[in-house]
Amino acid sequence: MRILLVEDDELIAQGVLAGLRAHGMTVDQVATAAHADAALATLACDAIVLDLGLPDEDGLTLLRRLRAKGCATPVLILSARDAVPDKVAGLQCGADDYLLKPFDLSELVARLHALARRAAGRCVDVIERGALRVTPSLGEVTMHGRVVPLPRRELALLSALLNAQGRILSAEQLKSSLYDFNDDIESNAVNVHIHHLRRKLDAGLIETVRGVGYRIALNGSAAP
Amino acid sequence: MSLRVRLLLMIGGALAALWGAVAFWLHGDIERQMQRMLDDRLLTAAYMVSDLVTQNPALWTASAGHTPALQPVLTLTGPLACQVSSARGEILVQTAGATGAVLHDAAPGFAFKAIDGQTWRTYTINTHGLAITTADRLAERSTLLNSTVLAAVAPFGAALLGGLLVLWWGVGKALQPLERLRCELATRAADELTPVADTGRPRELRPFVDTVNEMLARVRAMVQRERRFTSDAAHELRTPLTAIKVHLQVLRLSEGEDAVRALDHADEGVARLQAALSQLLTLSQVEAHAGSDGASRAAVADVVALAVRDCAPAGDARLQIVNHCEDAVIALPQALAVTALRNLLDNARRHTPADGRIRLQVDRQGNDVRFTVADTGPGLDDEGLAMATERFWRRGTGAGSGLGLAITQAVCERFGGSLTLARGPEGGLVGTLTLPQAKNNHDMEA
Repeated sequence: MRILLVEDDELIAQGVLAGLRAHGMTVDQVATAAHADAALATLACDAIVLDLGLPDEDGLTLLRRLRAKGCATPVLILSARDAVPDKVAGLQCGADDYLLKPFDLSELVARLHALARRAAGRCVDVIERGALRVTPSLGEVTMHGRVVPLPRRELALLSALLNAQGRILSAEQLKSSLYDFNDDIESNAVNVHIHHLRRKLDAGLIETVRGVGYRIALNGSAAP
Repeated sequence: MSLRVRLLLMIGGALAALWGAVAFWLHGDIERQMQRMLDDRLLTAAYMVSDLVTQNPALWTASAGHTPALQPVLTLTGPLACQVSSARGEILVQTAGATGAVLHDAAPGFAFKAIDGQTWRTYTINTHGLAITTADRLAERSTLLNSTVLAAVAPFGAALLGGLLVLWWGVGKALQPLERLRCELATRAADELTPVADTGRPRELRPFVDTVNEMLARVRAMVQRERRFTSDAAHELRTPLTAIKVHLQVLRLSEGEDAVRALDHADEGVARLQAALSQLLTLSQVEAHAGSDGASRAAVADVVALAVRDCAPAGDARLQIVNHCEDAVIALPQALAVTALRNLLDNARRHTPADGRIRLQVDRQGNDVRFTVADTGPGLDDEGLAMATERFWRRGTGAGSGLGLAITQAVCERFGGSLTLARGPEGGLVGTLTLPQAKNNHDMEA
């Protein structure tokens, strides 16, 4: 899951960055509204974590502009403004959730997973496809009831493909949900992860669409 | 005492005293006039009788020693008594009212005479060997007087009483707008600080309503300021707290180098929280400080040295100090003077680039000492200049608490100094801190 963190306080940003990464998320951080605009123009992320007190612009103004442009990415406001009118204004401007500082990292992670789940049109936290059962928020994958431990990149790749519900995702799209801007990526990294997933779970689970990308097998080839 | 009672006492008392004095004077005057009039009546009557008698004196004198020609007792009754007696004391003729042998020995002229427990007023003339006496009873006189006085004074008293009642009602009626205003104010909710309507009020109440409204406006501004301060302070404290909390949670999830880094970051958050708290505490102390303390003194040289040491313990190559008042003493506690100057210097250092310059100049200006801090940083726009001393305002994403200049401003307000911020002639910000000089320079405390 790829997150854009818009937070100007360096100390808090580093904490959230480290915390979300420890929970298996791919996170990019920007400190100003202008940088947020630039990042969103080139990046498809699953959720935005937005601080309201940005140095160059109010977070709500940025949010309103994003929504006006048609950006549908879930937004979670992370703010120290605890007054009810602030929360109401935030939600009315297009935010999907509002979390008060100081917050619990686990709560932030759970809320982000909930936002991604809702954006993918699911209402439970478990994705089932035949004998495969994935709980993204816990990072738990089982095959035929047997737990299959997956490293975080493979888990993120599997989640992205499952959330796409059979749509084809290009290697580039998959890469962007696995790595942030600073990661040093090898060109065949996605290929390698796909190969590992097929080996660990089921060879027919992920289909390769030549010249386009990958998708999760529609016919449930992972059936027993 | 209620306004109504007070007005009634004042106006009613004055009216009653005035009318009472008039009534008293009137009473005395009427009595004098009555006495004179009744005396005149006695006198006139005596002369009338005397005239009648002297027209035929022989009739009275020739028969002296004999039964008088006239009946001795006239059957005339009335308020007046009359008696004619001979030189020897014989009563020749007498009205029915007088009681024998008593009126005749009166001396000529007016006199008082007690007969049978009643006091008479008499008037006697002696003519042709006859004594003619007229008299009336004092009791009758006072009855007459009393009825006259009653007729004159009673309406007077009734009018006074009526006047007081009208006054009571009128005062109550006139005070109704005040009472309405009182009820309006008394029934307000504690947090309702909207102005009182001033339309439909008597002209005399307008200044009062205006004053109340001005006071409400001041209270409103203060409450808003305090509310904003509380929410700002909460925000300021939450931010470092968030940093601490998130890094501690990261610490729990990580190990090795990452854990050490998380711990360092948490430490940094604690330092920031501590700094914010101590700034807040300083601000509240300055604001709570009860007025200027005349005994407080601080040497300018010490203040400059301590402020520079506090803000740049390791020295700052950009900082240049020109002190023209080494020996001056300012009239405020040293710690606060140092805080005020240090915040100004901190601000300059924070916004001045590494190759910039900061110039601190201290000179005397009248009875004040002026500290001027000029930097070569980006300076502030008009809005920034106006807002810079507001609590929690900071330029962009500055690392300060947003309280430094607010504290300096508060110190100035407390001790009769001033803080002005302006753009420098070559850009940058010029902060001028003016603090009052102590009265006696040689009386420096240790």
